[in-house]
Amino acid sequence: MKIINSIFIIDDDPITVFGIRKMLSTSVEFKTISTYGNGKLAIDGIKKVLNDINSVPEVIFLDINMPIMDGWQFLEEFIELPIEEKVRINIVTSSIDPADYENFEHYSDKSHHQITFNTKPIKSSEIAAITKPAE
Amino acid sequence: MLKRSQIDPNNYLIKQLPNATAFLNKKLEVVYASDLWIKDFEFTNGKVIGEKISGLLKHISKDLQKDFKDCLKGNIGSGIKECYNEKDNPKKWTEWTNIPWYDEKENIIGVIVQTEVITEKINNDSNVERLQLLLQEKSSNANIGSWQYDAELNSLWWCEMTKQIHEVDTNFIPKIETCFDFYKDGHSKNTISMAFFEASEKGLPWKEKLQIVTEKGNEKWIVTTGKPIYKDDKFIGLVGTFRDINKQVLTTKKTKENELLLRTLVDSLPLNVFVKDLDSRKILVNKSELNFLGLKNESEVLGKTDFDFLNKKNALIGREEDILVMENDIPMLKKETTNIKKDGTITSFLTSKIPLKAANGKITGLVGISLDISDLKKKEEELKDLISVTSFQNKKLANFAHIVSHNLRSHTANFSMLLEFLVSEKDEVEKRNLVNMLVKASDHLLETLNNLNEVVVINTNVNLKKKSIFLNKEIKSAEKNLRVLLKNKNAKIINTIEDNVKINVIPAYLDSILVNLFTNAIMYKSPDRDPIITLSSSRENGYTILSINDNGLGIDLKKYGDKLFGMYKTFHDNADAKGIGLFLTKNQIEAMGGKITTTSEVGKGTTFNLYFNENN
Repeated sequence: MKIINSIFIIDDDPITVFGIRKMLSTSVEFKTISTYGNGKLAIDGIKKVLNDINSVPEVIFLDINMPIMDGWQFLEEFIELPIEEKVRINIVTSSIDPADYENFEHYSDKSHHQITFNTKPIKSSEIAAITKPAE
Repeated sequence: MLKRSQIDPNNYLIKQLPNATAFLNKKLEVVYASDLWIKDFEFTNGKVIGEKISGLLKHISKDLQKDFKDCLKGNIGSGIKECYNEKDNPKKWTEWTNIPWYDEKENIIGVIVQTEVITEKINNDSNVERLQLLLQEKSSNANIGSWQYDAELNSLWWCEMTKQIHEVDTNFIPKIETCFDFYKDGHSKNTISMAFFEASEKGLPWKEKLQIVTEKGNEKWIVTTGKPIYKDDKFIGLVGTFRDINKQVLTTKKTKENELLLRTLVDSLPLNVFVKDLDSRKILVNKSELNFLGLKNESEVLGKTDFDFLNKKNALIGREEDILVMENDIPMLKKETTNIKKDGTITSFLTSKIPLKAANGKITGLVGISLDISDLKKKEEELKDLISVTSFQNKKLANFAHIVSHNLRSHTANFSMLLEFLVSEKDEVEKRNLVNMLVKASDHLLETLNNLNEVVVINTNVNLKKKSIFLNKEIKSAEKNLRVLLKNKNAKIINTIEDNVKINVIPAYLDSILVNLFTNAIMYKSPDRDPIITLSSSRENGYTILSINDNGLGIDLKKYGDKLFGMYKTFHDNADAKGIGLFLTKNQIEAMGGKITTTSEVGKGTTFNLYFNENN
């Protein structure tokens, strides 16, 4: 199994962050996990690593409902960044609002990154399948 | 000699005859002639005696020649009217009376001729004839007949036309005793009898429009006139005219009927109808239009324009429409117009304006038809309001359902995930950690349920009644509740609201709203300055507006505007922010029939405008 270099978890709910971290630690090999409480912190973090070491996370777990900058606003900015690599972005939300799914399709079509839509809770058995580098 | 001497005295005698006389021999040569004869024929210049009559007159008609021949045979002539033309003279007429000329032995020796110039008489006769013809022509064209009554002979005379009007034969002889039988029983017969009596007894002339029944049984309208005539102050009869006016009367009657029908139709229409001339002056209005203008009589409207009844702006628009219709010959159809009268009454119409043309095709004005759709408009507005309320409620409901499902789901997802970990966890320390998290998740779920319940209560509690309260009293109470916070943060509230401002609210909601917004203003204060909250009030369209302005951080409404009042939406990096305050505030103000709006500038501050509905 390929070792993932960098994973970002963007979620304001500490329990969800704890859960994802726990599942990843038992089923996926990775070097680093970074956690951000909202989209704004995350996009700033990504811009920083892009700038400093010209690197981007390979897998991102993204919540939708967050203060200051929500998941959609994050995506809007993220897909505009000059990133050639294909990043896997797993949207993880408790929302069952069809409007959110339409939003997902919209960004999925608009960007070259691999975006998936997942509803909470994420099962341990599923986590490995969505934590692979984008193809 | 003897013969000659016999002739001469004769000649002399004849010469002096007082009549124009000539003696012609068998050869029709003039033997004797009176001076008058020579003068009448203007033979004075030449020789007459011994000349042939045919030579003298240049032209003799066949009738005259025959008459001469008859005389020579012993018959008395029949009197011939002879015409001859002198050059440069108008026609000259003479009447010839010829008799045979006998000698002592009763032998015919010639013709004795007596002539009379009758030019004047002939001309008179033809004048009379012409006048008669003219009269006849005129009376038949104008359907005017004449009649005469001779009182002395008790005889009545009708002209041809009069007979025609009565539809009797040309040889019908009218009688004064029966002529009134032609008049229709009742008014007509009574009137003519009375008129005839008054004319003959009192000398009063008449002119009456009456009805007759003709010989053939047709009813006709006629005008009869009569005038007494007198001779030496003695009444001798009557003359008058008789005129057939049936067609006119019937046409007039028909026209009047049509006019009445049209008028009734126009007046009974549930539409405003008006006719305007080229200057947009009203020349016809119906009852509906009169009612709209609040007037009783058409005469109060005729000749006036919209400028006399509507406000100036309205009238100007109307005039422009009129000009467009009349100049371009294009009707304006079913245009929705709003008419504002001078007293301010507003009426909505569906108006059509159609060019009005004279017989020659020239546009002389316009016909306007307006349908009052005010009620319809009102209903439409009510429906729109209802739809807007319904869709608003629907949106709120959907939003709430979404909030409920989302928030409950996120907690249950956590439960599910934590329980999955717990089941397979071997490590005791980690197990305890997981249980602690489960407790925390449970607390969060409970809190969420409490918040949601609060929203449900706000939206469903119809038992809470609005009360009229003084705004400043409530503000002071909220200020008192927050005095510790205000003091700690060195915050100041500047209240510019008059003490007499009252609003209709549910007091508990107002208190919650004020505490919430004041707290927000302090919590999101600028790090560079002490918080200052400024309060002011105004009124607008049935709302009393309370404006709460702060000098805090401000918020980028372009980014967050649509989420500002959402549940669990937070926008600043503040650990205490839960995203519930503004959500509740919005629900509370809306539950009281009001609304809330915001203006804000990042770095300068925020203003919340609370609209309190003045109605219940």
